[in-house]
Amino acid sequence: MKLNVKMYRYKPGTEPHYDTFPVEVPETGNVLDAIERAWADHDMSIMFRHACHHASCGSCGLLVNDQEKLPCVTPVKDYGEGATLKIDPMRNMPVITDIAVDASVIYQRMQLIGMPIIRNAETLRPDKRTILPEGLETFGRFENCLECGLCLSACPVMATDPQFLGPMALAAAERLLAEPRGVDVEHIYQLVDDEHGVWRCHSSFECTEACPYEVDPGAAIMRLKRKVAGRKIKRLLGG
Amino acid sequence: MVEKQLSRERTSSWSWILQAFTGVMLVILLGLHMVVQHFVVQGGLRNYQQVVQYISNPFVFLLEVAFLIIVTWHALLGVRAILLDLGLKPKTERRWTAVLTVIGLAMITNGIWLSATIVSQGHV
Amino acid sequence: MASEVQPKPVKRKPMEWFNLKGKRVGFWGYVVMRLSAIGLVLYLMLHLVILSQLAMGPSAWDGFVAIAKSPAFLALDIVLIIGILAHGLNGIRLSLIGFGVGVPRQKIMLWIGLVLTIVFSIMSALAIFSEVK
Repeated sequence: MKLNVKMYRYKPGTEPHYDTFPVEVPETGNVLDAIERAWADHDMSIMFRHACHHASCGSCGLLVNDQEKLPCVTPVKDYGEGATLKIDPMRNMPVITDIAVDASVIYQRMQLIGMPIIRNAETLRPDKRTILPEGLETFGRFENCLECGLCLSACPVMATDPQFLGPMALAAAERLLAEPRGVDVEHIYQLVDDEHGVWRCHSSFECTEACPYEVDPGAAIMRLKRKVAGRKIKRLLGG
Repeated sequence: MVEKQLSRERTSSWSWILQAFTGVMLVILLGLHMVVQHFVVQGGLRNYQQVVQYISNPFVFLLEVAFLIIVTWHALLGVRAILLDLGLKPKTERRWTAVLTVIGLAMITNGIWLSATIVSQGHV
Repeated sequence: MASEVQPKPVKRKPMEWFNLKGKRVGFWGYVVMRLSAIGLVLYLMLHLVILSQLAMGPSAWDGFVAIAKSPAFLALDIVLIIGILAHGLNGIRLSLIGFGVGVPRQKIMLWIGLVLTIVFSIMSALAIFSEVK
């Protein structure tokens, strides 16, 4: 399949611009393959992140035609023969070079919440032999989170508010409150019950649309709002 | 080690809850505002005399004052929400909150004064 | 050493409010909410200023009422009604999902709000303009 890769280019000290490279990839290929062909066949100064190639590490997040994607699992077939793939870096994070961004935006927020994502080998569908941890009725899907940052890129509030905790950390916080496992719950509430915590979310659900792994951070934030508001109202009424 | 931009004084907030609550109240109050105008005075408010007659009704006076308070509150909470989306410094945010509060109180006071004036003018 | 590399500061970009590329229906709901909000705040201020004309007595007020009956003014009234419906109906959706009610159906609620906005706006327009003599 022949495609054009229109790559965002930026080297410090120069003006950002787009370079277009014609590439050929197998029909079963993914967008990452097209980018790698552009790098290998045309310009080895293209800087981009990639590691596992199977949506497990979360390194390769970027924009394809202005939509957040994990290129390693986005089929080129989605775009068709002869299509132009406009490749941009993730939004709302400073660009270091080309499409490699400074991902501290992601990791600082997870650090603030306490790095709760422990992706052990937990089964997702409990059967009659599964013993669920205390307080859980079913396994939540947050363990799917790759910490790829696509939700932070898609979120319109992240664009204008550098203090916003963002969908990823808020969904992680909701997961913690649903199953604390000994974490300091008061501290989590204090972090999220803040004007730049959960209350800055305006329900655009762009995070849910962007998430490549069905974490549904939007829904998690709605549940979090319910928890935070419920707790405040109960305390007001003397509960 | 969290970057300065993320660390700020964390303050619990009722703003969004109030926004939702006043919003729901406005669905009712706005409905009443539109409907009552057609029923309290025959034919609706088509001239000055009818307005005086309308606002002189004590139930109407209270309804309109309540409506004014709730709509002003909701509107200015909303303006504040848009400003907060810009991630300003905590001190700047507090200043804007103070400014909007003053504007709100001024709008409400003005409205109550205006209503009372019309009622009294009607008895001239 | 990784710990010596300082993260770059993130810049605030208000122009992103106007970047509509690649956005989906939920984002449009957010935009409609914000635009109608700003429009309604301006309307509120205008409405209160005009009402202060009432304090000037009958002739000032009746002068305003004459303008209020003109077709151009009535057309603006319909724009106002569209704004109120869009904002109010979506606001009910936001209040519900923001308290965790009906979250899996949030997109359906958005579309229903949009349809009801259009239907009630058309009904209002017909009701208003059928009274114009």
